[in-house]
Amino acid sequence: MSCVNDENFVAVALVINRSRDGPAFVFHYPSHVSALSNLADKAKDVDAEDVLFERLSQSSGAEPAPEPSENRGAIRDDHYVTESGSQVVPWEHVAGFPARDLAGILTPARSYHKKLFQLSLDPLLCVSYPIHVPENGKWKKPKKASKAKAAKDLDEGIAPDEPNPPVRVTKAEPSKEKAKEGKKDETEEEKRSSMTMFNLVFFLNPKKHETRELVDSLYSNIVKKVNKAYQYSQQHSEFVWKESKRILAAKDRAREEKKKMSALWKELTQNSSLAASMREIYDAVSQNRIATLHLDTVDGILTPSVQIPVPLFVADLPPEDDERHRGLWLTTANAFLSQDALEEPGFLDRNFALLLTDDEKKIVAELGNDRDPTASSMAEFARLSKPTMSFYQVGQSNTLTLDQVRKYAQHFIFWRRAMAIPPLHPRDIYMVSPNCDLERLSQDAQDWQTAFPLAPPLPTFLAELSVMPRPYKFITPSKAHRPLYLRMLAWLMRGGWVTQLCTFAYVVVWPEILYEVDYEIEAEELGVATSSVDGTDTTSIHTAQSTLDGQSTHSSLTSPPPQLPSQQQPQQSQTQAQAQPNMPNPSTTSAAEHSAEMARLERIAMKAHRELADKATAHARKVAPVATTNPSLNEAPHLAGLTPHIIVDPKKATGKESRYLSAIARRFKDEEHRSAWQLMCKYFDGRCALERIALQEDMKRKKTWTLVTILRP
Amino acid sequence: MIQGIFYARFFPQEGPKIVAQAPPGCITSSDGQRPPLVDFDVLQEYIIPRQAFCNRYVTINSPDGKYTILGYPVVIRNPKYMRNEFIFNFGLLVEAECDQTPYERVVRCLAETFAEMEKQNEYLSLSEAKGPDGDGSRRPIVSLLEIVKEDLNNYGECMIPVDEASTINMKLFPHHTNPPAVQGWHVPVAKTKFNDIIDPTWDITLQKVVAKIDGVSDVRRIAHEASVSLDLAKIAIRHLLYYDTILLLDIFFFGSCYAPRPGIHDFIRNVDGIVDECASYVSHGRARVSNYLLIRFMAAFAPGKSVKEWIYIHREMGFELMSYIDIRRFVQFGVIKGCLYRVHKYVVSKQYLASLASGQSKPLAGGDPLQKYTDGCHNMDQIMTEQNLTNDQVMERLKTLPVPRGDISVFYK
Repeated sequence: MSCVNDENFVAVALVINRSRDGPAFVFHYPSHVSALSNLADKAKDVDAEDVLFERLSQSSGAEPAPEPSENRGAIRDDHYVTESGSQVVPWEHVAGFPARDLAGILTPARSYHKKLFQLSLDPLLCVSYPIHVPENGKWKKPKKASKAKAAKDLDEGIAPDEPNPPVRVTKAEPSKEKAKEGKKDETEEEKRSSMTMFNLVFFLNPKKHETRELVDSLYSNIVKKVNKAYQYSQQHSEFVWKESKRILAAKDRAREEKKKMSALWKELTQNSSLAASMREIYDAVSQNRIATLHLDTVDGILTPSVQIPVPLFVADLPPEDDERHRGLWLTTANAFLSQDALEEPGFLDRNFALLLTDDEKKIVAELGNDRDPTASSMAEFARLSKPTMSFYQVGQSNTLTLDQVRKYAQHFIFWRRAMAIPPLHPRDIYMVSPNCDLERLSQDAQDWQTAFPLAPPLPTFLAELSVMPRPYKFITPSKAHRPLYLRMLAWLMRGGWVTQLCTFAYVVVWPEILYEVDYEIEAEELGVATSSVDGTDTTSIHTAQSTLDGQSTHSSLTSPPPQLPSQQQPQQSQTQAQAQPNMPNPSTTSAAEHSAEMARLERIAMKAHRELADKATAHARKVAPVATTNPSLNEAPHLAGLTPHIIVDPKKATGKESRYLSAIARRFKDEEHRSAWQLMCKYFDGRCALERIALQEDMKRKKTWTLVTILRP
Repeated sequence: MIQGIFYARFFPQEGPKIVAQAPPGCITSSDGQRPPLVDFDVLQEYIIPRQAFCNRYVTINSPDGKYTILGYPVVIRNPKYMRNEFIFNFGLLVEAECDQTPYERVVRCLAETFAEMEKQNEYLSLSEAKGPDGDGSRRPIVSLLEIVKEDLNNYGECMIPVDEASTINMKLFPHHTNPPAVQGWHVPVAKTKFNDIIDPTWDITLQKVVAKIDGVSDVRRIAHEASVSLDLAKIAIRHLLYYDTILLLDIFFFGSCYAPRPGIHDFIRNVDGIVDECASYVSHGRARVSNYLLIRFMAAFAPGKSVKEWIYIHREMGFELMSYIDIRRFVQFGVIKGCLYRVHKYVVSKQYLASLASGQSKPLAGGDPLQKYTDGCHNMDQIMTEQNLTNDQVMERLKTLPVPRGDISVFYK
């Protein structure tokens, strides 16, 4: 599912640098990494230019790139001696490069400390997160700060998005610590002069278009975390350095003994938990599993886990050729969640249930092996949770608190043991998912038969679900069959075979309502205008008249200034101008300006007055709105020009839209229906599935549907 | 964007050094004023690496994660050089975020051209002997680099005469991923006006195929009508797909089902005027259909409801859809814009499926040609185009398959 696979993830290698002896290539896994061929890439380059050209270029053969000669092709398992007499050791060439040179180039300077180091040696791409010794030359942190800091380091390093960190340090023997204290002085010098950095490098061979995505997901999920875990073990017990010394010594011996590479690798992965952890990283990550490391340090066993999280669902149909997302659960349950909904307390608890991705008994048994006290309540959670029960409902039981439920659910989902789905319900409609993976049909049909021997065969059942999607309970033969049929549904859900068909609603405002509200608003505007006749409006009319007088008698200076503040301005400037004749503004112009201004204002006032009057008459002539029982069918002539209006989000409706909503509310005669409308209309935003209202409002499904049907004209 | 371009060289005495760079001071400080964009002391071991890593494309990110250096260190072995080798690298400095694939060709081209020029007439080593300004007859390398950078950044290509004999021609090509395989039952729809861009120098097969793309015909039909073999028609169409000049849709039948996808909400909300766009695409004849009606029509699609049924339902409500809109265009608009998806029909034989799972039988060589389609992995469009049958004919033929009663199921997804 994820983009990492054993084709683009070539190997993992540990490189260290030492202050005296310089860089060393400690270990790599898998053992045999042959030189990657450049040719494939070249051909790809050509075809990027021209698809038709592809064939041509392949038949003629692309020009081979210059390549360091001796080591082309597969790596041998045994040692051999060249003509010149030098011994060729199989593990001293990795991916076509001499391991010695790789060690040199993969030990970058301190400025790369805890930063992305991405080096491409075409076609090999190396990605890592180099860790350097602190400036003082000692890996071990000063005792005081070490504990808190290290714990923090580990937390952020290994599992930032995970409820309880999977690392459990089992203190093996506290006495060892003391024993070491004694030897401290002599090891002091050794520590300062030994390993100066280590670097766990991931060798990749990505296709051009996937490079960035591959590097990003591997770097943030795996590379960083593993290197940090190694750093933790190094800080606490010199783990990386001690193991590296052992591995290098074993390699030297094997070189002398001419031991076969496969034998040496087997030995190393058995004897060194560092080598074994690298094997686990490669095997698990390239297969897209969760890698669980066991670092057997002197202070106890560290067991960090790392993984690239898998997507659990897709929100929209992926394109036909997108194989990575085929077969995933198709749902908008997560994608349509608005920020408001997420912030609303309890929203997720009510809308989601836990669907275990594996057999319940198996998971409970796995947890049973763990002596951790939380494991038993987690097992309890796995037993209690049903895909038909929301987290909220599980939390209602007396055994677990809602907080525990949330925490465990997150834990299960992160570690790929479960997914969160909207609770299954027989009244809901489930149909064959357009994203289901038909390639799996023959295998899954067999598994289905084993799991439900008495049920109809899988193809028949899928046909039943898909031909005419309808509520699931109509597919169930009788009420007694219901639990079994819900289990079957959960099985199908897990395999991505089915998806819920949800209904979404929007509020449509019919012309009748539009007209009614518009009519009301108009009436109100007119009402405001007429009711204030004694107030502002009359004065404005009045002023207009007075200025008219002033103008006609040319007694502009004495005419009382109209109340409007804008008019006082010219009046004043005019007086000033007259008092100071030396001003450039001749008074005659001011007088003319003033009268012009007066005339303009008067015209505006007249016009407004006339318009208002016209409006009132027009309004009076309009057909008064009539409320019919079924507004959607009202085809009265006065509604002809109006098209229905869709309210996109009733929660955020303002102004006219909110008036439409209350106008609609008034139409409900029944008190209960009216309050149902007030309650539910916020869900008619096209994002909240109507199927979820019952969960959200804690109502019976049947009741909800009846109400929704009534609200629908 | 190329932020910097440089020519680095290994000197037997001084070690790796930047000989020329543009803009000045981008890799190593030249005037001591502006700090360089990257730390050359840290990066030099990747610009001039050990010989095992030379003669290949090498890239490295800067420690701050802002830039990437793209280079191609070259070693030329010859006894005439001091220490018998000449090592150099022409590299680019680009932002780490930008798409680096187009620049790979540029770096390879620079390395190949200058390696060849050095081999033929010691272009690089001679210019050094004569000092930084050259002998006056040739352009100094630094100005050459400057032009390469400017032209590639501004025009995406460059054509620079280096000396009497050689010219550097380079162009940045965007990287497209390989398009999916084209199938006989796909319907190509043009996104570009082919008539405006086609010219007689185009491949003849491609010209024939392009002429038959009408947004209705499937690939098989196009191949037939263009008198081109189906395989060649598929390649030609894939070629058009690579350049993003067409889209692939399904065959339109009135008997097929279409169902809404999440994109339908954008249609209802008329995001970016999508409904108005739809109206002008589908309206025919008299009046433009109101947005409200278009939204209502679009939202009325559902799984389990064929286009035919969808038309009947609207007819009962008093809307004769045919006279308002072009139904095929309306459906195609919905599919293209992600409002609708086609619900495909599949047939599966339980007997055949079981035999596949157990690996007992492979499709019989002389068996019924329809049998191989009954594993549920082939949709009806495929069966129809490959077998040249209609839907009804296929269903009739399936009845005659020698299987137990009730063995064949039909499902939709």
